[in-house]
Amino acid sequence: MAIVLFRVDDRLVHGQVVIGWGRPMSVDHVVLVDDTVATSPWEQDLYRMAAPDGLRVTFASTVEGIAGLPGWAQAADRTLLLTGDLDTMVALREAHPALVPRINLGGIHHQPGRVEKLPYLYLGPAEVAALERLRHAGASVAAQDLPTAPAVALDDLL
Amino acid sequence: MGLSPRWQTIIRLYGVQAAWTYERMAGIGVGHAAAPMLRDLFRDRDAIERRAAVARSAEYFNSHPYLAGIAVGAVVRSERDGVPGGAISRLRTALSGPLGALGDQLIWTGEVPALMGFTLALLPVVGWWAVAAAVLVHNVMRFRLTRWSLDLGLAHGLGVGAALQQSWLPRAAKDAQRVAAFAVGLALPVTAAWLWLDGIHEGGEVILALVLVGTVLTLAPGTRTRVTGLRFGLALLGAAILLMGGW
Repeated sequence: MAIVLFRVDDRLVHGQVVIGWGRPMSVDHVVLVDDTVATSPWEQDLYRMAAPDGLRVTFASTVEGIAGLPGWAQAADRTLLLTGDLDTMVALREAHPALVPRINLGGIHHQPGRVEKLPYLYLGPAEVAALERLRHAGASVAAQDLPTAPAVALDDLL
Repeated sequence: MGLSPRWQTIIRLYGVQAAWTYERMAGIGVGHAAAPMLRDLFRDRDAIERRAAVARSAEYFNSHPYLAGIAVGAVVRSERDGVPGGAISRLRTALSGPLGALGDQLIWTGEVPALMGFTLALLPVVGWWAVAAAVLVHNVMRFRLTRWSLDLGLAHGLGVGAALQQSWLPRAAKDAQRVAAFAVGLALPVTAAWLWLDGIHEGGEVILALVLVGTVLTLAPGTRTRVTGLRFGLALLGAAILLMGGW
């Protein structure tokens, strides 16, 4: 499979993604699926700046992400697919269950109503509901901010 | 007469990580730095609007601390331009990645190791003045970078990404790493000679020649990625150890 990591991270394209995961996994293509960024040229300019030379960044809306997923999965590129929230990842998983077998929770940060589970993971009722849907659908979900950090299974988070 | 809001913000940018937490990272420090300019901006407007802007400016934020002024300036300018609060929050999030990456390249893997390398290389020649000079240069550069960052954000607001791309910063971040590699590569044989060969008095010409070769290798087109100063210095160090071992 050419998509080597499915990650949820509300900081989107940043150092942990492009260096922390990108380098050890030899990623050469990052797909950011986010409805707002997909229509915002100034945000795309900024996120491209966070990517080192040689790393291609593609921006897609949720609809475009669902349509493009089979192609990215078959491409020769080693792709990291990133979403800024759980709902978008759930939509991708429900559209293509076989193509999204494992999901990495890399960063869901503090907002009013969210409770700290890990230093980089705060969950509120909406996030818990989305994770429950993924669990019932049989997805393998774990929290891990960097490859060198221990992975925390979903059962230990809920 | 007190300091202007801009100067208060510049001074506060030095303490941007003082209230660092996992929950908001540098967000509170950034909010504290932006507060004087936001207070000035909203002084004739509704207090609820002002409080909302201050709260927004203290939300989660993480970047390189030396470049946080870009985000502070861009947020203040966006508030002045009447940009909706949601877009301002997204601007902060979007700035985190590039400012972190550029700052790491420019400072942590560029300017700081470069200064340390040159300081070590100069230490045998000028003594501890080299350390004092390095501290002075670092702080002058930091002050100028902090002031420039804030002014860039204030000048461009929501368009700061394009302005940042066209500025000297991305190129300087790459060049700083090459200079750092050269400086560390230079420092290795010079320091080794200083420690093991009782000073560098008799090898001055050799070291000068090495400096010139290293400079050419660092600056010459086509050699930048293949022969870095660090690789050159390590090779020289290896050769020196072999020669000293009598091989």
